[in-house]
Amino acid sequence: MHIAEGFLPAGHALGWTLAAAPFVAHGARAVVKEVRENPESTLLLGAAGAFTFVLSAIKLPSITGSSSHPTGTGPGAILFRPPVMALLGTVVLLFQALLLAHGGLTTLGANAFAFAVVGPWAGYAAYRLTRAAGAGLLPAVFVGVALADLATYVTTSLQLALAFPDASTGLAGTLAKFLGVFAVTQIPLAIGEGLLGVLLFRVLTVNARPELERLGILKPAPVPTGGAA
Amino acid sequence: MTGLAVDEAAWGSAWRGRSPGDKLLLCAGLVGCALLLPAWPGSVLVGLAAVALALGPARVPARTFGRAIRWPLAFIAIGALTAVVAVGDGGIGWAPDAAARAGSLVGHAVAGSAAVLLLATTTPMSDLLPELRRLRVPAAVVEVAGVTYRLVFVLLESLGTIREAQAARMGWAGPRRSYRSAGMLAAAVLTRSWDRARRMQDGLAGRGMETGLRVLPDALPSSRPFLALALALPAGITALTLVVR
Repeated sequence: MHIAEGFLPAGHALGWTLAAAPFVAHGARAVVKEVRENPESTLLLGAAGAFTFVLSAIKLPSITGSSSHPTGTGPGAILFRPPVMALLGTVVLLFQALLLAHGGLTTLGANAFAFAVVGPWAGYAAYRLTRAAGAGLLPAVFVGVALADLATYVTTSLQLALAFPDASTGLAGTLAKFLGVFAVTQIPLAIGEGLLGVLLFRVLTVNARPELERLGILKPAPVPTGGAA
Repeated sequence: MTGLAVDEAAWGSAWRGRSPGDKLLLCAGLVGCALLLPAWPGSVLVGLAAVALALGPARVPARTFGRAIRWPLAFIAIGALTAVVAVGDGGIGWAPDAAARAGSLVGHAVAGSAAVLLLATTTPMSDLLPELRRLRVPAAVVEVAGVTYRLVFVLLESLGTIREAQAARMGWAGPRRSYRSAGMLAAAVLTRSWDRARRMQDGLAGRGMETGLRVLPDALPSSRPFLALALALPAGITALTLVVR
């Protein structure tokens, strides 16, 4: 759910761009530092960006009868951390605007704030809190990924409510109106994306355990010590 | 997939050989007009100009342009409808100025989307990314974006192949199997992207890559007549809108 080009008034488009800019700049600084210290990271970061883009192309069956596309930022935030996702998510949004006609250029800041800043940070915070509360990896992944999706949708609804407030019901009434309309697709999608995250991480813990250990998601398995016979 | 269709249209466009900076200037001018001028007649003129340029001199296939603009149209229709519906004590009704507000919203958004699509269908991403350096985006960020662009197509091909294999094994029959297949598909694409990146890194390291992925971009010189069009068209639309209003 990206805000289309020209949909937001100029002042709102500029305001959300300014709001997203510090987070994206922070992510860019983290990427520049990483690439300077390890030039080979360029390819891995590029692969992470491409994965986020491609994940949004996987169709999920929806209870409304049609199919939906995941946002892809929840798994990305858990795997690569929110600062990196702020930059990679913005790059992905730029590609979606110019390769898929989803979103726009003047609305890139507003979409980046919802999709690349609020979504990943909310999802990552929920994932860390759930793990800190003693839950296992997969329940924490479900909570984190689903919340990243929900936070993105709530932020987009807020952006639209601020841009087009209802004269009689005010901001709260308008927000309830946008939340209600988009809830039909977004709440089932958030649950579906949470389930997809669980299935993704379940396969990764079996097939890509060394990578998950290197990313700090799993603790390294203890090396068995050889006992004397 | 529409994404590939837009990219293919950009590579095959008659404007492919034009300077990306010139095309950016033209489309930025049109996007600015769509955003700032009144919907009537400003947005209408921007929309007509963008479609006429894309289907005319740029020779973008009408079918590709039409299919690509369906996505923003769906959001614009739902968003505009929601914005002009009033929910009060008496139930659901139209806001007092519903028609004017909806017309203005749809006009700005359709015109802006058409102007962005004109850029997207005439300029491949690999031509646009070097322009980001002129906007002082760090080289490392542009390089990561460049690798992302190139890997997107490799991973989309993997995605299509794996999905076809899953479908042939009834992997997408029913919601339960579909979710399981989607999870395995995402995991396979992620591990393939890591593997592909690692093998590319090994190949580049063997060729002595130390300071970044240097490539020789196509020389696409700026054209004075095109630059004149890029400046005159938005200025003309602005002037005409002010006269009519």
